[in-house]
Amino acid sequence: MSSVSQYFSGLFTGIRSLMKGMAVTWVELWTKKVTAQYPENRDTLVISDRFRCELIMPHDTNNEHACTACGICVMNCPNGTIKIESEMIETADGKKKKVLKQYTYDLGMCTFCNLCVVTCPSDAIKFDNTFENAIFTRSKLVQTLNREGSKLREKKKETPAPVAE
Amino acid sequence: MANQIIFYVLATIIAIFSVLAVTSNKIIRSALYLLFVLLSTAGLYLLLGYPYLFGVQIAVYAGGVMVLFIFAIFLTNKPGDKVDKERPIRRIVAGITAFTGLAFCAHVFYYNIARVFATVAIEESKIQVIGHTLMGTEKYQYLLPFEVISILLLACIVGSIMIARKR
Amino acid sequence: MILNYSQPLEFSNLSSWLDATLRNNLSEFWTLLIEFVLVGVLLLAAYAVIALVLIYVERKITAFFQARFGPNRVGQYGLLQSLADMIKILLKEIIHINKVDKFLFYAAPFFMVGASMLTFGAIAFGKGLQAVDFNIGVLYVTAVSSLGIIGVLLAGWSSNNKYSMIGAMRSGAQFVSYELSAGFALMTMVVLSGTMQFSEMINQQAYCWNIFNGHISSIIAFFIYLISGHAETNRGPFDLPEAESELTAGYHTEYSGLQFGFFYLAEYLNMFIIASIATAVFLGGWMPIQIKGWEAFNQIMNYIPSYVWFFSKTGVLIFFSLWVRWSFPRLRIDQLLNLEWKYLLPINLVNLLVMVILVLTGLTLTDLFPNWF
Repeated sequence: MSSVSQYFSGLFTGIRSLMKGMAVTWVELWTKKVTAQYPENRDTLVISDRFRCELIMPHDTNNEHACTACGICVMNCPNGTIKIESEMIETADGKKKKVLKQYTYDLGMCTFCNLCVVTCPSDAIKFDNTFENAIFTRSKLVQTLNREGSKLREKKKETPAPVAE
Repeated sequence: MANQIIFYVLATIIAIFSVLAVTSNKIIRSALYLLFVLLSTAGLYLLLGYPYLFGVQIAVYAGGVMVLFIFAIFLTNKPGDKVDKERPIRRIVAGITAFTGLAFCAHVFYYNIARVFATVAIEESKIQVIGHTLMGTEKYQYLLPFEVISILLLACIVGSIMIARKR
Repeated sequence: MILNYSQPLEFSNLSSWLDATLRNNLSEFWTLLIEFVLVGVLLLAAYAVIALVLIYVERKITAFFQARFGPNRVGQYGLLQSLADMIKILLKEIIHINKVDKFLFYAAPFFMVGASMLTFGAIAFGKGLQAVDFNIGVLYVTAVSSLGIIGVLLAGWSSNNKYSMIGAMRSGAQFVSYELSAGFALMTMVVLSGTMQFSEMINQQAYCWNIFNGHISSIIAFFIYLISGHAETNRGPFDLPEAESELTAGYHTEYSGLQFGFFYLAEYLNMFIIASIATAVFLGGWMPIQIKGWEAFNQIMNYIPSYVWFFSKTGVLIFFSLWVRWSFPRLRIDQLLNLEWKYLLPINLVNLLVMVILVLTGLTLTDLFPNWF
């Protein structure tokens, strides 16, 4: 007797659970679709601030950056993505000083590990969330991060608010 | 004319593939050639305007028996290997037996075809008639043989379950 | 009865006009030849077009069930997506594999397509839109559709690949067992309608569809037929012959290009065939909804051409199959065989008996209420 009743109760609970499952999917059929339609939704697209897309070097309104050309980022980079060219100049008060000449960043080599940003002693670089980096030639991926004619920000001076890139 | 063309095409297919089914070295290919033979036989039935026999031929032989054949072949050891050739004496004996059977059948057909043609209905019998004939108990009806065969099948099923249980 | 209504959009008008014109101008031999070729070409074209439409519909509905949009880039609403896919699959290279059994490997896809093509011919798409109408239609359909499994078995074995082999064996076991209950469900309806011919079956259902006519028994048979038909096409929760996570792609792992396309085509068409046979047997085929006594209503319903009725009924069933497919997780092989041998088949046998009793004691709706139906 028990096996017979088990057979039928199993059958009917099975059918009921199947119906429940189909009810769930029926509701799901009419829910709002969640797929982001990328090129159309560019205006409303929200990319997280912490998303790492591309290394940048923030410059302020005086065209000054914070990079001291110490080379720590170069040493920490696992892939040799960053190259720093520096030169020695003589300041007005006669001291010799190493300043940044060219900060080269190869996007194609970068794994976005964030080690350069973490280890930078003067917070001169950071990762930006501009993700549309696709281009047709590889050579364009090699970028110079410091701007034309920019120079190191003086420490004592009151720093103006940095401008977003 | 069209009927004749179709008949000759089907007959050629049957002849070629039945020879191939016997002579092929790989057992699975033999099974496939046999399937082609059965399918073209079904085609012959259709050509005769007898779709019921066509349907049964395909359902029973092509769909049922051949699938079981192929399954059984898959379950044997190394179905893809080539089968060894038999010893010549065996081949000769087998050939003689086959030809004897062929000659016997041919003889029976040749001398009785006129009688069969006279008694068997030319037009297709309706499926309801076939069903009633299978299930009827009167003269020329087949309920008893039908049930006997089903008992035979039941015995087969019970026997196979017994064999499977013992292991 | 139905001939009294005006049906200006019916396809049979065109076909009978064509037949009459050909017969007037040519001898009988040439008329028949031209008509056979035309029917063949039309069926092949319909086969391909229906498959394309089905692929698009399936992808769209699947996407909606998963809260996605589905294809919407190629053409308006992605309408050209399956066309583009077809062109791509036609241009793809057929990879020749060394250690396969060449003859069986190349023959296998044709079995699949051939079997579903033969079944396709027996479908009544509309009034006068049926290629072959044997008086054993139901038997013919069950017989011919069982040929497809040979293609699957041969494909799995000849690929010389253990995944394909396991997939083929599973598919074989599944098909052989579920074919049984599909056949029994159809047999139940044959008992109800007393004929195996599709056209006659459909004509009987003018005022009362078979699914209502045999009430309890018919509804059970309907669902059993849908379940086992669904299982026969290796889809939905029964797709373990091609379970990607265990068997890569099952029996068609080694196929590429057009040969894979054949399997794909046959799979989609089998879904359509199952749905359309269920339509013909249970839901009145191409018959419009008609109610005895409501002449004006019947007039309007008959104005809608029969193929529209057929395709919409079939479409509902296909949607049902997709709904099931995206609701339930895949069964294990033992669960699959349990479902068939312990549940569907016994229920089916009892159901067949119940139907016989219903018909013999006159408890069908047409017998009970002859004035209404």
